[in-house]
Amino acid sequence: MSDGRTSSLPGGPSGRIALGATTLAALLLAWLVASTSGMVSPRVLPSPLDVALRFASLLADPFSGATLAGHLAASLQRWAIGLACAILLGVPLGVLLAWLPPLRPAIAPVFELLRYIPPFAWVPIAVLWFGASTTTQAVIVFIAAFPACIINTQLAVSGIDPILARAARTLGAGSATTLARVVLPVAAPTIFTGLRIAFSNGWMALVGAELVVGKQGLGFLISQGQINDSAATILVGMTTIGVLGTLIDIVLQRAQRLALPWRTDSVRPAE
Amino acid sequence: MIPKMEIRGVSKTFHARGGTVAALEPCDLAVAAGEFVTVVGPSGCGKSTLMMIAAGLEAPSTGEILVDGKPAGPAGPRRTVVFQRFALFPSETVAENIAFGLRVAKVARAEIDQRVAEQLALMGLDRFRDAYPHELSGGMQQRVAIARALVVRPDILLMDEPFGALDAQTRTVLQEEVSRLQRELHYTVLFITHSVEEAVYLSDRVVVMSKGPGRIKREIAVPRDAEWRGFEIEESGTHASFMQTKREIWELIRAEIVRQ
Repeated sequence: MSDGRTSSLPGGPSGRIALGATTLAALLLAWLVASTSGMVSPRVLPSPLDVALRFASLLADPFSGATLAGHLAASLQRWAIGLACAILLGVPLGVLLAWLPPLRPAIAPVFELLRYIPPFAWVPIAVLWFGASTTTQAVIVFIAAFPACIINTQLAVSGIDPILARAARTLGAGSATTLARVVLPVAAPTIFTGLRIAFSNGWMALVGAELVVGKQGLGFLISQGQINDSAATILVGMTTIGVLGTLIDIVLQRAQRLALPWRTDSVRPAE
Repeated sequence: MIPKMEIRGVSKTFHARGGTVAALEPCDLAVAAGEFVTVVGPSGCGKSTLMMIAAGLEAPSTGEILVDGKPAGPAGPRRTVVFQRFALFPSETVAENIAFGLRVAKVARAEIDQRVAEQLALMGLDRFRDAYPHELSGGMQQRVAIARALVVRPDILLMDEPFGALDAQTRTVLQEEVSRLQRELHYTVLFITHSVEEAVYLSDRVVVMSKGPGRIKREIAVPRDAEWRGFEIEESGTHASFMQTKREIWELIRAEIVRQ
């Protein structure tokens, strides 16, 4: 606030980016100092340079069956399959639940019960059913992502002012037109927020599942790093997971802004 | 002559806590083509319920709504509604909101464009064609809602306290605008308000409702050739005949409010 602005965002967006970059740079510096000064053994904490070199070698040479790109592709594939199923099933079901309220008491108890079983608790049964396969990983992603899809869609649709549907009816619109032209566009921002939560929940569950089971993927890469006593490999895997997750969310935010030009900033959900 | 719209024996009973509550006793009301009829009454007199039934958005317990002498059927573009809370579609621009009913009716693209342009000009909305509702003031939003309801050329326009959510200045401007539209284009309008002044200024006939349960208490004609017609509302209000009608209606409503 040294520039005397009263805005809640000192220095505006560019100022925020600069602040964030400064913190990241400070962390990196602390890491560099800690790892090169001999305070911490390189076996415990390799230097940023060692991690960068390891990154380059993982890109070039296969480790535990694939290069870094190969592990990444395997993770992304499972993630995409699980998410696609969660969205394609969760969003229409959420609309249905909101549109036909009598369905809610029928489905709610099942949901409440399943909600408290964490995605990882499904790993053993998924392995039993589908083996150590892509399907198993995708199922875990699905289980992690599905609730956010269905719950947010249902909230979004049932939260719409009924007067809008009435206005559409007096202008001659039937249910299908009202749904397509009024309800879904108005619900879209909240649905989209739900999708972003689903994307990140799915991503986290996937990495966890890969740590436990599987022969490829970023989570598997990390667990192999541990077995091979290579902290650098683990750090490369962790950084890749973090950076990729962030990038995906940034892309989604951009897409949301492009797809919903009529949204005001003031009513965008808190992030 | 067959009225444009007829409310015939319409009543409404709600079921609540094991018993039934009569919200509306059987009401009869006819609106002739080109006539502007306003319903006034204290809160809770069932005037909004009557309007929702007239629009086809709620089913009456008894009675029926006729348009041109035939049962009106479900809600639809022959009876469009302007709501107090505007009810614009937030994801659509002004032009898209106005075009909504025409697109639903599958009117040809060229004709939609032309009729939307006419409405934009009529309501003074040209500059806001591509704006989204949240970018507009309340007064502008309600202009869009009126345009959206008029563009489909309804048999009757139903206005449910349309200026109730607006500030006093904006309300005055819109009252004068609606009065001008009515004089020039002769829409058939059923209008609900709790403002007696608004009712007298706009109407050919004012229907006063009483409450507990709601019913039509009295109908008062306001001559179309009254000396104050065509003036601004401020000016009209100073004429003796305007004040006389206003006082007459107000006495009827006051009796209802005191009666509780």
